[in-house]
Amino acid sequence: MGLDKLDHRGDQSDHRGDQSDHRGDQSDHRATVSSVLVANRGEIALRVFRTARVLGLRTIAIYTDLDAAAPHVREADEAVRVDSYLDIDAVVAAAQRAGADAVHPGYGFLSERAEFARALEEAGIRLVGPSAAVMEQMGRKDAAREVAERAGVPVVPSYSLETPADQLAFPVLVKAASGGGGKGMRVVRSAAEYADAVAAAAREARSAFGDDTLLIEKYVESGRHIEVQVMGDRHGRAVHFHERDCSTQRRHQKVLEEAPAPTIGAELREAVTAAAVALAEQVGYTGAGTVEFLLDNATGDFYFLEMNTRLQVEHPVTEMVHGDHDLVADQLRMAEGAPLAEGGQVRGWDGHAIEARVYAEDSFNGFLPQAGRAGVVHWPGAHGGRASRVRVDHALESGQVVSTSYDPMLGKVIAWGRDREQARRALVAALDDTAILGLTTNAGFLRALAASDEFRYATIDTAWLDQHEVPAPDPTVARLIGALVVATRLSGSGHPFAADGWRASRLTEGLRVDLDEELRVLVDADSSTIDGRELRILERDALDDGAERLRVEVDGERHVAFVAVSPSQVEVVHRGQRHVFERPDPNASHGEVRGEGSVTAPMPGTVLQVLVAEGDTVEAGQSLGMMEAMKMELTLKAPYSGTVTTVAASVAQQVALGDVLFEVTD
Amino acid sequence: MSEMRELVGDLRTRLRRAHEGGSESARRKHTDRGKLLVRARVEHLLDPGSPFLEFSALAATGMYGAPDASGTSDPVPSAGIVTGMGMVSGRLCVVIANDATVKGGTYYPITVKKHLRAQEIARANRLPVISLVDSGGAFLPMQDDVFPDKEHFGRIFFNQANMSAEQIPQLAAVMGSCTAGGAYVPAMSDETVIVKEQGTIFLGGPPLVKAATGEVVTAEELGGGDVHARTSGVVDHLAVDDLHALAILREIMETVPGLDRLDHRGSRLDHRGPASEIEEPAEDPEGLYDVVPTDTRTPYDVREVIRRIVDGSRFAEFKQLYAETLVCGFAKIWGHQVGIVANNGILFGESARKGAHFIELCNQRGIPLVFLQNITGFMVGREYENGGIARDGAKLVTAVACSVVPKFTVVIGGSFGAGNYGMCGRAYDPRFLWMWPNARISVMGGEQAATVLATVKRDGIEARGEQWSVEDEETFKAPIRDQYEAQGSPYYSTARLWDDGVIDPVDTRRVLGMGLMAAAHAPVPAPSYGVFRM
Repeated sequence: MGLDKLDHRGDQSDHRGDQSDHRGDQSDHRATVSSVLVANRGEIALRVFRTARVLGLRTIAIYTDLDAAAPHVREADEAVRVDSYLDIDAVVAAAQRAGADAVHPGYGFLSERAEFARALEEAGIRLVGPSAAVMEQMGRKDAAREVAERAGVPVVPSYSLETPADQLAFPVLVKAASGGGGKGMRVVRSAAEYADAVAAAAREARSAFGDDTLLIEKYVESGRHIEVQVMGDRHGRAVHFHERDCSTQRRHQKVLEEAPAPTIGAELREAVTAAAVALAEQVGYTGAGTVEFLLDNATGDFYFLEMNTRLQVEHPVTEMVHGDHDLVADQLRMAEGAPLAEGGQVRGWDGHAIEARVYAEDSFNGFLPQAGRAGVVHWPGAHGGRASRVRVDHALESGQVVSTSYDPMLGKVIAWGRDREQARRALVAALDDTAILGLTTNAGFLRALAASDEFRYATIDTAWLDQHEVPAPDPTVARLIGALVVATRLSGSGHPFAADGWRASRLTEGLRVDLDEELRVLVDADSSTIDGRELRILERDALDDGAERLRVEVDGERHVAFVAVSPSQVEVVHRGQRHVFERPDPNASHGEVRGEGSVTAPMPGTVLQVLVAEGDTVEAGQSLGMMEAMKMELTLKAPYSGTVTTVAASVAQQVALGDVLFEVTD
Repeated sequence: MSEMRELVGDLRTRLRRAHEGGSESARRKHTDRGKLLVRARVEHLLDPGSPFLEFSALAATGMYGAPDASGTSDPVPSAGIVTGMGMVSGRLCVVIANDATVKGGTYYPITVKKHLRAQEIARANRLPVISLVDSGGAFLPMQDDVFPDKEHFGRIFFNQANMSAEQIPQLAAVMGSCTAGGAYVPAMSDETVIVKEQGTIFLGGPPLVKAATGEVVTAEELGGGDVHARTSGVVDHLAVDDLHALAILREIMETVPGLDRLDHRGSRLDHRGPASEIEEPAEDPEGLYDVVPTDTRTPYDVREVIRRIVDGSRFAEFKQLYAETLVCGFAKIWGHQVGIVANNGILFGESARKGAHFIELCNQRGIPLVFLQNITGFMVGREYENGGIARDGAKLVTAVACSVVPKFTVVIGGSFGAGNYGMCGRAYDPRFLWMWPNARISVMGGEQAATVLATVKRDGIEARGEQWSVEDEETFKAPIRDQYEAQGSPYYSTARLWDDGVIDPVDTRRVLGMGLMAAAHAPVPAPSYGVFRM
């Protein structure tokens, strides 16, 4: 018996407002949900609306001014403006105004804020998620650890803060009790670094979470991140939907996620999933949650890390390996008070799914966040087959502005295959067919990673990406295809001076295409030649704004590429990677080149600190100021020793990418 | 491989050599100074991918001494100047560019002729002229054949002034030295660009100044880019390098209003030709390699050639049943209506009359004429002379000479004697004249000339009662035959600018289309003729 047999929405009586603790309550107290407000934006809002629509619910969006024209606003039946997605009072008021029965928080924003859950409870609106009390418990690492211990779930050996440094078994992990997402976290490998690391972690924790309580734990050098999807009803029961492996992460941010975990056997799977269910039941968990574990590669031991009291970004991989089971539908049923069925809680599952998170970031340039207007956006076509299926959850359309104000995730590409290798290949192919012109994304990085032997053979542990560099994709093929597109657009007909590069006696070296280097293209109807390489266009589809999607054979190997040509540049997305080839402009200003003593904003953001004044003498590498962008603090350093001649930055100033903030002359 | 393919292979080898320009060391010296080679300059000036129809790329071949020791290059390849037509900012232009790697870009007599010919093409077709100047001026050792006469150096500036007066834009970029007379090319232009620290303009260079006045001055101080752009006003735009200068020229071209584009009777026409799809010949032009015998004495049907040149291989023949040695008819080339006159044997009186009639027809209708020349001459002999073949020949020559429509001549075989005149040889001002690599051109065949001269000599000897042995006669005739053989070569012709280039037969359709497109830029006056001898 499975969740799909749940009797949901059977009871038409309106029990809204009856939000008493349902733990252990076996009575059939249900409240029909007929409308849902999604307190979120982007792809997750669209994801929830999709299910809500299938279930016949009225959908309500909230939006800020920046998002007035966002896809999730258009998708909803109604939309209410709020000042901020983080403003609890405004979101609750919006739900009341729109008459929402329930609020789905998505992930991020208010999804794990107990105050929000409480405010909704007080307003008589159901939160699609656990109670405020559970959130509070699981949201604090120390409390969560106690719950785990009570449930008999192994936890990472820990130390009290008072333990003298020389008594710790290094390496240890120092982390914020209320943390998440890697903030306020430090790995300490020796007693010497310990005091500084603790101080830094406390500072970060205070600024990020307003709480500088720290935990000290054993640090597992090589581990895999295994997490179990659970679902709890309001009657004290919980089931699991197997595990996911999210070991491919960078600075604790997940990059590739998959289900099932590729390196564990049935016994360990049984142990991990049972532990997760035990923990959920121990805490009286309701709705969808994820119990995260660290699997020590050296010993095979696993430890409870934390529980996320919401739907995860990576939930689609679980859905896909469970026959496209709808976890959001389950969440809504649980919110209505429907009971989990008795008996076998483990659903049948099949195949393997891998998710790649597409972010607006320049992975090969320090992972700098990117913002701006997307040009043509092409997501791989969702398709299903016996051997593989592809699913794309996204909320990015052509022409949309990606701001630095919100999470830089643009969408998720998920591939399912009958086995892991088929899923992996399907993911690589899907990323080949993913293109966001005008904006650099990590799709090329994801593609390179998914195609790597390390990922293929599942040897990537949680620290791997922090210790290894993924080589930047070779631009050669992209350049060839870009040149071919430019050349084929030139070659015209209709009159004898049309741009086909003709020379008498066929003494042509081909059409000259100036990109970042000069290429000679001999265009032919069948196959063209560039630098001795043979290119054949197999397929050519026009996209919006003159962009094109091509399938091209280069020396017999097939490639998909997206090309946009402008007078100043040729942009090619190949294997997910965006390559921008600047076209030389002989008319470009021949004025003075900006001095190397300029310190410019490496990304758009806000100036936090200005540490120098004009006329100050500075040393090479000395901090001139600090700016914040995309939740990162960036130190602006003097390029060399000299005198500060210009201070163009001021505290709280909003700056654009490339703005000159300081000038230093030697 | 057919003989024609071999001849075309030889043509390509010659062109490839000529395209290299000056010696390797001269080219290296040039590029080391940050300058582009002349054909690269032209390519960067032209619109991306624009075709370039180069004029007389093999000019000067063999005229100024044998190829150098390596045997790979002529002493003055392409006469040290590249001329041709191509698109600049969407406008068909004539480009004239000095090759400074060839004798410093100085003007040999044939260089002057080639420059003037390019100007003539520009003027006849009303095409803007863009000069890329990098020349030391006249080649001093040959000043007598360069400087003083009507068709010498001074004519270049005369043409510039008069074309400017006719609203034909004259633009120039000074990309190297521009000394003495050469200084007037930029100075006489409507708008001029100079490349900083490369281009110099002065009437007398530093050595001359020192000799004349004792003043010691650098070239840059005397007439560099900064001087002329900021102080003297000789130029209008200062560029930092070659590419920048060419980009400025392209920008200037964009600001020049379009010339009226006219068809052959003066009504407006898109100069790119009709909007309808251009129909390729139904017969593959590559077949020209096989259907045309390279020996001009072997007869073949010229319609085989026409079918491989015209749109859809469609040819509407005029007077097909009359005077079959001259084929006349209408067809389209790249969408342009043309009248074709093609030899299909020797010219008789009636062939000449048929040709004159057809040419008059084309002039009345404003249809450009294409002559496919393969003619050994007019028929000789008592019957024909008595029948007045000279009178009929005169009719044809009059019709050709007085034609007001654009004429194009392709010498596809022999071009001998008065046949050359009647079939629109160089003297009859075709807008363009091209030769195939199998072509032969001379007043008569070598054998005939040797025989004529031997007969005259024998008559003289025998009148004195002396004997002339057959062996002696043969010794006398051999060098005459050799001379005609050498001078009849298309490469001898093209070296001397008797034509606008030797072309691959397969290119015939393309270059005719280019010529027709150029010609469509200029209006055609109403027809009028001299007295036809009846």
